[in-house]
Amino acid sequence: MKLLRSMRTVVAAAAIVTLSAGASVAEFPERTIELIHPWGPGNAMSVSQLIAKAMGEELGVDMPVISTPGAAGTKGQKTAMSRPADGYTVFDGYVAPLVLQPILGNADWTYSDFKPLHSAVSNAFAIGGRVDETRWSNFEEMMEYGKEHPGELRYSSGSRNNLPHMVIAKVLQSYGVVAQNIPYTQDGNAVKDLKSGVLDFSFINVGNYIQDKPAFNIMLVLSELPGAKASYDGAPSIADLDIDLGLSGLAPMGWTWWIVHEDTPDDVTEKLRTAMEAAMERPDVREAIAKVGFVPLEWDHTQYDEVVGPVLDQLSAMGNALKWEEEELKKLR
Amino acid sequence: MTSRTLTLLVTAFFAIIVGIVFQQIHTSMHEQGIASGGPYDNAAAYPRAVAIVIAGLVIVQILMEILSGHQEKIGLEPQALKRAVGLLFVFALYLGCLQWLGYHLTTTPMVFAVMYICGARQIGKMLLAAIVMSFGFAFVFERFLNVVLPGGIFRLNIPW
Amino acid sequence: MLFESLLAGFQLFLTPMAIGLTFIGILIGLLVGAMPGLGPLMGIILLLPVAIGLPPVAAMGFLIAIFVGGSCGGSISAILLRIPGTPLAAATLFDGYPMAQKGRAADAIGIAISSSAIGGLIGGVVLIAASPILAKFASGFAPPEYAMLAVTGLFAIALISGGSLIKGLISGCFGLLLATIGTDEFSTGYRFTFGSHHMLNGFHIVAVVVGLFAISEMAHQIIGNDLLKKPDIKVERPGFGSLLKTLRHWGNLLRSSGIGVFFGALPGAGGVISSFSAYAIAKAAAKPGEKYGEGAEGGVVATESANNATVGGTLVPSLALGIPGDASSAMLLGALLILGFVPGPILFEQEPQFVGGIFLVYMASNIFLLIAGILATPFFVYVLRIPKFYLIPIILILCSIGTFALQASVFDLMVMFGFGLVGILFRATNYPLAPIVIGIILGPILENNLRRALLISREGYWIFLDRPVSATLVCVNVLLISGALVYAFRTRRKVFARREEA
Repeated sequence: MKLLRSMRTVVAAAAIVTLSAGASVAEFPERTIELIHPWGPGNAMSVSQLIAKAMGEELGVDMPVISTPGAAGTKGQKTAMSRPADGYTVFDGYVAPLVLQPILGNADWTYSDFKPLHSAVSNAFAIGGRVDETRWSNFEEMMEYGKEHPGELRYSSGSRNNLPHMVIAKVLQSYGVVAQNIPYTQDGNAVKDLKSGVLDFSFINVGNYIQDKPAFNIMLVLSELPGAKASYDGAPSIADLDIDLGLSGLAPMGWTWWIVHEDTPDDVTEKLRTAMEAAMERPDVREAIAKVGFVPLEWDHTQYDEVVGPVLDQLSAMGNALKWEEEELKKLR
Repeated sequence: MTSRTLTLLVTAFFAIIVGIVFQQIHTSMHEQGIASGGPYDNAAAYPRAVAIVIAGLVIVQILMEILSGHQEKIGLEPQALKRAVGLLFVFALYLGCLQWLGYHLTTTPMVFAVMYICGARQIGKMLLAAIVMSFGFAFVFERFLNVVLPGGIFRLNIPW
Repeated sequence: MLFESLLAGFQLFLTPMAIGLTFIGILIGLLVGAMPGLGPLMGIILLLPVAIGLPPVAAMGFLIAIFVGGSCGGSISAILLRIPGTPLAAATLFDGYPMAQKGRAADAIGIAISSSAIGGLIGGVVLIAASPILAKFASGFAPPEYAMLAVTGLFAIALISGGSLIKGLISGCFGLLLATIGTDEFSTGYRFTFGSHHMLNGFHIVAVVVGLFAISEMAHQIIGNDLLKKPDIKVERPGFGSLLKTLRHWGNLLRSSGIGVFFGALPGAGGVISSFSAYAIAKAAAKPGEKYGEGAEGGVVATESANNATVGGTLVPSLALGIPGDASSAMLLGALLILGFVPGPILFEQEPQFVGGIFLVYMASNIFLLIAGILATPFFVYVLRIPKFYLIPIILILCSIGTFALQASVFDLMVMFGFGLVGILFRATNYPLAPIVIGIILGPILENNLRRALLISREGYWIFLDRPVSATLVCVNVLLISGALVYAFRTRRKVFARREEA
């Protein structure tokens, strides 16, 4: 009797499973969609959770964000690529794993190996110092000091060989200044050590800046976009420099473009695109993103190539800045 | 089995660990160019130091055990040992099949097998318990915590 | 100013929604904490999307309560099953489990919960009274100080390794080595990854801890003979009496909470270091009658008050400086920003009533923890009465789902299983498991700050002596090393003398 009853449960359960498996062909999405995020917990992850939540609401399912940090974002990218191309896995395509790491020879894909959904957010960086600094008061003066004291300056770009490092190395190379980058696990800690005088300058993102504006002397905003300059209350930007770094648009910034696997069916991709576009247009979403210090982006999937292509070209062109810094540092030792 | 066999086993374990550290430093890390230089580039110095400390400590530990000459027999009934090995085997098999067959096809048999190893023999009751446990937990985690359990090649995911 | 902001915060806090959600957050926290695998961080990540749609103080109450409850919940499974639900509770095992074995399970849980709540409240008082000062002090800690502090932390390994000092040190070094797996953040090279992308960030600490403790424990349980019987355990009625028992350890409570707040306020240190250090110091300061490691109440008091005081501590740099103290508070900061509040000095000036509200939800969640925890203890203890043949598969499923949920990765499950085997080997040969956990946590702090300090320094190792706090820590470490050597030498001589007598 007991056995019979339990058998019936098995059959019922099996029926549910088969039914749902059959239904998945008919209607997308019928279950939770996961977003693979390439960084650890922090502000960038919160922003992705925010967009994922809105996008999930548009699709009628939940969209949890899975944090898979490691190897400058390539672990997340590889994890997402190993998933089935059924639209239930969306990649948080940050510039570092998507464009920069392939340039540095650490990954074998290009941005065009993926189908774009919609651009998500960008995040501008600046070079900042302390307000009570006595050795210099602006970027040009710091560069003069750096030239006179080769290898003396200590700065942090967050981690080694990341996008801010590449841009800062390029700027320093243009001025012929050799400085030592100090990698930090959490970017808040680099800012802390800048404030306490251990570092001479550091990359500062908008989030760091708005937390304690009076503490920083923003010497150079690493973007020529007027919006970025405005986020730092009109501090000088690379557009104001005498030298041309060859960087424009999204190239010197952090950004993410949500993408899916190349083999994802077109109708599924289309549904995801529509949902993400709707989510990115929502005023509440845009407002919340802006509060974290990120900029919501408006490019849709048709503009993927024309926006990301130049980033690849510009970053490839300056790839030697990091090598230059390494070699100059070795010479000094 | 005696305590000396176990000591041998654990010593072999640490020897392998230390060996791997040196092997990796001389192959992979050397090729990547991170096995020498200053603190910015040398990723090998610290693991090498730790491995040397482990090797030193293990040698001291072995010498102490040899000097004390202490050896004891470990009394474990064959039945109990069989159960433990069986449990590990079933669990390894379960984890191995999880990716392939998915959570929903593998969990109920795993639970059932573990109960069987424990000595339970009321098939109906065990089956019911196994089903309730595996689907109950799946429901809680998938429905309330948004966890997507492995679907396997059949893509079996229940939209609760 | 302080009093006013608290008073203004009351208006924001005293809404049915804020109070209700804080209470629910505690329950969720206790659950995710008690289950092997998930912990406070995963709880916060999983429920953040729910929170950001709520009114700010209610949302923060909900998330902070998960943090508080989750930091305590791990002790429940540690006490009952010898499985730390989170790495935070790995040190609670030492005395919590022996207490339960002696029939004092409810007492042990009661004490764990009371200590957590009181530790949390002490942390909260510090948070309210000294946030800016403590934040300033902590921000003076730079890489040289962290590196020296990590060296001091290694002594905790020696103090907690119980039976054999050398075996404890080997376990600890094994943990240090495990922490090096993955991408080296300085050279950006890959260490011990064997070409697998799964290994690029090393092993997930939770997968390692669940494997070491839970899987090996299940293998240990199944060796026993009473698998089918309903365990005949008499469980005494728990109650608020355990609060009194906890308060009797007031010295230990204050000291351990202080340690917890201190490590919490140092960004990057966190709860595991707090609880291990507090345990080590409590053990060192114990009276001869207290048998640490065999079910001493003081052991549970020390670890649990410390790891919950850490929560209050981590909120200090998070709120006052905008620098997250650990991964969980990094998520809290993200939530704060989305809700429209910028953490940092400006927050205290511009939104005093909101800061007051956060302080209040934090204090309230600790009080709720006490109430909910004590009331729920009978249900927790019921676990002990489940026959083993049900309990073992339940735990195996929970370990599997909980570990899988961390990164939706089957590889993490393989890691868990592998470390299950390592755990069995270590147990069979009497190598302690807990030092591995502290080794994994201390490893990156030690290595990275050592290398960071040397990179920052313009004159090599002198940087450790040039800075006053770092120099002090160097002295402390030298004293500890020489003290330990003298002690080891003396006991050795005593042992030999005794042997000769015999």
